[in-house]
Amino acid sequence: MNNLSSLSTYDVLRQHGVDRRDFLRFCVTTAAAMGLEASMVPTVVAAMETKPRIPVIWLHGLECTCCSESFIRSSHPIAQDIILNMISLDYDDTLQAAAGFQVEAIRKKLIKDHPGGYLLAVEGNAPTKDGGVYCTVGGDTFLNVLKETAEHAKAIVAWGSCASNGCVQAAHPNPTGAMPVHKLITDKPIINVPGCPPIAEVMTGVLTYILIFDALPELDRIGRPKMFYGQRIHDKCYRRAFFDAGQFVESWDDDGARKGWCLYKMGCRGPTTYNSCSTFKWNNGVSFPIGSGHGCIGCSEAGFWDNGPFYQRLSNVVVPGIDATPNTIGEVLGAAAVIGVGSHLVSTVVRQNARKIHVDDTPPADSKGE
Amino acid sequence: MAKVIQPFDPKDVVAHPEAYFRRAYVWQVPVRLTHWVNALCVTVLFLTGLYIASPILAPSGEPAHHFVMGRIRQIHFAAGIIFVISFLVRIYWFWAGNNYARSGFPFVWRASWWRDLFRQATDYLKLERGHVHLGHNALGGSAYTFFVIFLGWVQIFTGLALYSETNPAGTLNKLFGWVIPLLGNSYRTHMIHHLVAWAFPIFALLHIYIVTYDSTQYGNGLITSIISGYKFYRQGDIRNDEWLS
Repeated sequence: MNNLSSLSTYDVLRQHGVDRRDFLRFCVTTAAAMGLEASMVPTVVAAMETKPRIPVIWLHGLECTCCSESFIRSSHPIAQDIILNMISLDYDDTLQAAAGFQVEAIRKKLIKDHPGGYLLAVEGNAPTKDGGVYCTVGGDTFLNVLKETAEHAKAIVAWGSCASNGCVQAAHPNPTGAMPVHKLITDKPIINVPGCPPIAEVMTGVLTYILIFDALPELDRIGRPKMFYGQRIHDKCYRRAFFDAGQFVESWDDDGARKGWCLYKMGCRGPTTYNSCSTFKWNNGVSFPIGSGHGCIGCSEAGFWDNGPFYQRLSNVVVPGIDATPNTIGEVLGAAAVIGVGSHLVSTVVRQNARKIHVDDTPPADSKGE
Repeated sequence: MAKVIQPFDPKDVVAHPEAYFRRAYVWQVPVRLTHWVNALCVTVLFLTGLYIASPILAPSGEPAHHFVMGRIRQIHFAAGIIFVISFLVRIYWFWAGNNYARSGFPFVWRASWWRDLFRQATDYLKLERGHVHLGHNALGGSAYTFFVIFLGWVQIFTGLALYSETNPAGTLNKLFGWVIPLLGNSYRTHMIHHLVAWAFPIFALLHIYIVTYDSTQYGNGLITSIISGYKFYRQGDIRNDEWLS
């Protein structure tokens, strides 16, 4: 294993029969995807040729494995092959061949062999209620496994919305007390790659960056890489022109829907969602939700499950016992104010002595503000 | 000693106004100016905000020929920026202006403020002329502090944070971008911004009613004072401002 980890990406690729032309093509594509200048391509190539691959421990907590599914479907076969060879994926309980006690033994050995040298990729999050019993791996709670593995990690990559912000299992009322990684581990550099799942190219882009520069990419306030989560879907949406023009789909089968107008009024969360869907798209760039005529549901945003219904622009405000949109609340309070004012006005008119005027006999003094 | 005149004789008032009224310059120019700028901006902001949340016009034809939503958003943002500037000018005038410019502040540490608050509330409920103030009374001041200042800050911070999303690398984002993660996410920030916006028409309703009531019941020229700056008072009225430092 040590031996494998010390090989560079290029070495491994050559062993797998990838020729140099394809390898260079991959380097150029990756550099472009990360927004690097052409002059940076040699750096990418050099890094791939010389740097030993990063050992990666990939943990699975409370999740659906959609991140892994997305990851192994990176757009080009060559890229997929390269990515899986680029990192030394030494532990991934859903992908590796080993099973049972053997698997956990590998993880413990890796921690011992590469203290502070491996990258921890976490897919899913850890339930914290009742001692974390709602997710166990190999007889131990995932909470313990996560903490134990994170302790000697170089950095942590939180894959997907589960690990980054909690996703569905942390949605109200969060029965298992599921918490995203950054709330459980506070002493390690963590990069959040939200999305349900994140786009494959975004995942590979993040790993490539770490491999090449041996550092985490520039992160925003909530730990997301700026290069992929710097803008809202809305900002790059090809339907944006319809938004600015004021042309909106009103129902799923109207004329606007056929003409591909903006889905804002159908509840599209594009204006409030930071992701690269409108640039990278999905499935080899085939399409993305808005491209297929369905609004974005905001799957890469914290708490997106609690911002429903997905097909309403304004969600319901949770007031105990009442489901109401902000407009309903405003209208009810407004009506209450009208009633209050109206009753005061009526009482004033009815009560004649309100018009009595009290006057002092003493001569007036000058005002302070004169 | 106070005596009760009933009914009020208009001829006598015209003949001997000085026996009834004194005039005091209360609201200085920046106070009046920011009041009207705020009133205009809040009206524009509320109406354009409702439109942005629920755009009802649907121009037909090619999108290149229309800019309806874009224009409404531009107006909303422009009004928002003007509101912020007016708000800051008013805050500056809180210190620079006369005592009346500060009279709306909730002096919660003073017993006299609490007495005035209670007294004003019961005056309104008893429908009596009560105690006339030259500046704000404690109840009015509390309403302005909550609706205009506190909720105004909420709208300014959430509004600028949402506006800054259009340029995530910009200065505005550095200054106000932190609001979004603080409130959870961009969507929730929109929701809070929208929900709080409803407080402003409710405030406007209460405000316009109560100044009309005060103006007619107290005969203090309250409504015209926000245009001219002058308020009228009668002897004895001035004492109710004593809790102001």
